[in-house]
Amino acid sequence: MSDQLNRRLAFLGILIVGLFAALFTRAWYLQVLTTEELADKALLNHVEVVITQPTRGRILDRHGVVLADNVRNGVVTVDQSRYAPGQKESVLGKLSDLLDIPVSTFEARLQDLQSHPLAAKVVATGLDEYGMLRVSEASLPGVEAKWVMSRVYPQREIGSHVIGYVGAMSESQTSRLLEKGYLPSERVGKSGIEQIFESDLHGEPGRTELEVDSTGRVHQILTQTAPKPGSDIHLTIDADLQAAAESYLRQGLIAARKTVSDDSGFFFPAIGGAAVVMDLRNGDVLAMASHPTYDPNWLVGGITSLEYQSVFENPYAPGALNNRAIQGVYSPGSVFKLVTALAGLESRLISPRAAYYDVGYFQIPEKYGCTGRCTFYNADKAPLGIVDLSSAITRSSDAYFYKVAHDLYWIRGDEQWAIQDMARLLGFGSQSGVQLPFEKTGRVGGADVKKSLFEANPDAYNPYGESPQWLPGDNINTGIGQGFVSVTPIQIANAYAAFANGGTLFSPNIVERVVSRTEDQFGTSIVDFEPRIQRIAEFPEGSGVVREGLQGVTSKARRGTAWRAFEEYDSRGYAIAGKTGTAQAEGRNPVLMRKKEDSAVFVAWAPKHDPRYVVAVVMEEAGFGGEAAAPVARRIFEALRAYEQRWPDPTIAFVAPRPECPEIPEALRGDQAFVGYVPEGCPWGIQVPRANNPEDADGDGIPDLEEGSR
Amino acid sequence: MSIPIRKELRSPLRYADYSLAVVAVLLSAIGVALNYSATWRVLEFNGQDPATYAKRQILFVLIGILVMAGAAFLDYRLYRDFANQAYLLVMLALVGVLFFGVERNGARAWYEVPGLTFQIQPAEFAKVAVVVALAAFVANQDGHLRLVTLSNAYLMLAVPLGLIYLQPDLGTMLVFVAIGMGVLLVAGAQIKHIVVTTAIGLLVVVGVFNSDDLGGPALLRQTQEQRLTAFLDPAFDLQGASYNINQSQIAIGAGGINGQGWLKGTQTNLNLVPEQETDFIFTALGEEFGFVGVTVLLLLYAFLLARMWFISRASSDLFGAFACVGALCMFTFQIFQNVGMTMGIMPITGIPLPFLSHGGSSTVVAFGLVGLVVNVSARRHLA
Repeated sequence: MSDQLNRRLAFLGILIVGLFAALFTRAWYLQVLTTEELADKALLNHVEVVITQPTRGRILDRHGVVLADNVRNGVVTVDQSRYAPGQKESVLGKLSDLLDIPVSTFEARLQDLQSHPLAAKVVATGLDEYGMLRVSEASLPGVEAKWVMSRVYPQREIGSHVIGYVGAMSESQTSRLLEKGYLPSERVGKSGIEQIFESDLHGEPGRTELEVDSTGRVHQILTQTAPKPGSDIHLTIDADLQAAAESYLRQGLIAARKTVSDDSGFFFPAIGGAAVVMDLRNGDVLAMASHPTYDPNWLVGGITSLEYQSVFENPYAPGALNNRAIQGVYSPGSVFKLVTALAGLESRLISPRAAYYDVGYFQIPEKYGCTGRCTFYNADKAPLGIVDLSSAITRSSDAYFYKVAHDLYWIRGDEQWAIQDMARLLGFGSQSGVQLPFEKTGRVGGADVKKSLFEANPDAYNPYGESPQWLPGDNINTGIGQGFVSVTPIQIANAYAAFANGGTLFSPNIVERVVSRTEDQFGTSIVDFEPRIQRIAEFPEGSGVVREGLQGVTSKARRGTAWRAFEEYDSRGYAIAGKTGTAQAEGRNPVLMRKKEDSAVFVAWAPKHDPRYVVAVVMEEAGFGGEAAAPVARRIFEALRAYEQRWPDPTIAFVAPRPECPEIPEALRGDQAFVGYVPEGCPWGIQVPRANNPEDADGDGIPDLEEGSR
Repeated sequence: MSIPIRKELRSPLRYADYSLAVVAVLLSAIGVALNYSATWRVLEFNGQDPATYAKRQILFVLIGILVMAGAAFLDYRLYRDFANQAYLLVMLALVGVLFFGVERNGARAWYEVPGLTFQIQPAEFAKVAVVVALAAFVANQDGHLRLVTLSNAYLMLAVPLGLIYLQPDLGTMLVFVAIGMGVLLVAGAQIKHIVVTTAIGLLVVVGVFNSDDLGGPALLRQTQEQRLTAFLDPAFDLQGASYNINQSQIAIGAGGINGQGWLKGTQTNLNLVPEQETDFIFTALGEEFGFVGVTVLLLLYAFLLARMWFISRASSDLFGAFACVGALCMFTFQIFQNVGMTMGIMPITGIPLPFLSHGGSSTVVAFGLVGLVVNVSARRHLA
């Protein structure tokens, strides 16, 4: 053996040792250093998790009428991403023959905007067994017939804005929902109750862990949990009242479209509106209507883009998906005078019974100096003559409240913002807290609001060369609900409910309870929504006069602004107190290319002296509150009066206010002379229930005979 | 001087290194156990005898042991005389398989034998033939290889390489390269020749790899190119080419230190590692017996190789030494390449792990080569 051979063998040996060292090192790395990570991967590798979709909870009204339900639905889907050029046409042609649906409908549904562009599109729904069998037997490529649980809204458009609808999950929420065990194909709540109670309605998905091999064959079931069905949501809504409110609102809008505007000489466009009905004793929302409306079933099944456009992108009826009752932001107009009146009383600027001479306008006195607008006119520049607080409300004297707001402006100190403070106290400028998503706050304007708006957009907020300072004119406009104040219909209803019940401001409840449907808890309430009191306001002395003013609005004898709407109304035991409002809308109607018409507002409670329900109606560009909105409210009250009979006794949650007892000399207390003047609960005087007075059936304190003669 | 005479008179098998044979049998026993583990679950699921593969492997091992005994018994110097005939015979078989062979996994490398449940892979036997023929050829050169001789040796390697390229079977080709390089290095090829020829070889490999980019025909199959790409970037195409790499590393890593126990590895039992009873048998060991099992196996292999190395040194003639080096290089390369591949430090090529992988030809050939080395060890004292 030569040395060379030995040297080279040695080299070979060293090489081999090196190679083995590499193998050991790698094995050490894999099996000791990174073993945990790789063991996790191995677990994921052989365990397949199958998610079973739970049954979605239903949505019901207060009596158990089902508003949202699930049905087994035969659907046909087409996955067009799989087609070779030209193949799609032949497949759709065959499918068209099978289902007797024109190809153009399929084409339109394949353009579906609601789902991912590459996902399989639903082209036909509602197939029966026979249709499903025919489609699956044809075994067309990319075409699938399958049974799915679909959401159905049996009451169609009734309550659609409250209920909301379900749809494909958006890209931003996909990853979060998939983590929670949703299936990618599952539909989730997109608005309304469907959205805000998504986690309750959805339930918990079932989960089965299977041991599978590389070809996906199941070897054994490792664990199995059954799906937990979602809970039912019981609303405080009464479906019949809701249907009535929607119907009356629509009819009111249609009627307004046949009325000619005095301002412009055109018909009112009356594009939309909202109505809210609340039980003012506990804050339950009994109906919440919004117009234009839609049938949520359209959004659940495949909808063609043409159908979508015609309903949801219609320029003549914009915002069909918006719930105007909580998302529509309007100038309140004269209904805001309640706030101004209470603010004036609070700061002791108003003597309730003092007379004021309404000459048809209010001019800022010269001694104050005047920047910007200095003369403020009544609606129609009509002089109302001598008014006090009560009749200023009843007849809606703008000049009276211009003066109150003007005087408040010049009070320095905290009370300068008495109107704004009172508005906030009554819930304006913040969300009411109803269990619905996307509620708007509205706005209660002050100096800061004006300044920030001015800075953000100087052109739009300075049309007359006004300064960003808070001027007397701004406060004067605010005093009659114009300018820098905007509110939602539910805020109006809630504020008047608080005033009518004596000061208890609720967070309105639209959901009564959440009821479990799981096997072990079937039918038990998981969550009961008790009345939620936001705050209890104490109204200033003299607010009884405000109430008296509001009680006269429907009265012909007292020349109330809404008397015409209630002329035919049978007020016995169900008389109505309320306030009309006619709010100027800023800007121009983008479709009709002219200045926006006034919005009609009406808010009222009934019965007058024993308030139970409050109704607020807002109608966009529909004219006077007393002419357009009040009749809608009247018809809602008529329905309410009939339906109320069948409702169980409600929870009484409001705190009865301390009665305002007149100061009566000691000696005269208990005297018959004070019958009728002393409110219930006063320690003196003798109270005669007004409803028992045969001469005054409507209970407004004025004998009927006298009323008729005037 | 009396001792050599006495040794001449005694049977050379007295001096044989039987520890090699014992380790080989031990390894193949482990192999049978792993074969069973890698296949029983799926076979049972399909309603077949769960031990089908294990039983067949036992049969191969028994044949292998007989072949090993036979190879050890006859004087190895006889093989030298028949080296060229054996070489020619195997080359003919390699040509024949291109025409009469059956195709599996895209390679035409197997003879179907009527009446038998297994197939014969001539390329495996070509390894033995090339080891013996090459050793015989270079042993005549007296420890110094001139360029002409080196070229002839390359030619001897080029013929089987070309034929196997036509099958194609990249892994087996690499085994021949390893055998050739090892034997020629030890046999005294000049370093500069080896460097130059290695450089040329690398150029050819790069040229083949990129032949389609250079304007020629695609000489490398797409699957092979993908596997090499996947080796360089394992995240590439997880379910495709690098699936093997990822799954096998997961299996080995999931074993941890002590392993999950025989028949308890999920990757192994649920057939998640492809080709597990053959090329990826090491993953079954890694998952079920862990780092401890891997260490034991590698130590057994290391013992086997170390014995071969010492026997090569102790050989009484150059032919024996070079034949041992050939076997040593073949085993080394196959072990390193196969184990390295399953652990992701070598690219994926279809090379069986000696004694462990399921397969008749490779098992028999491995035993045969061990027999040859035992033979050399037995006759190391003969002049």
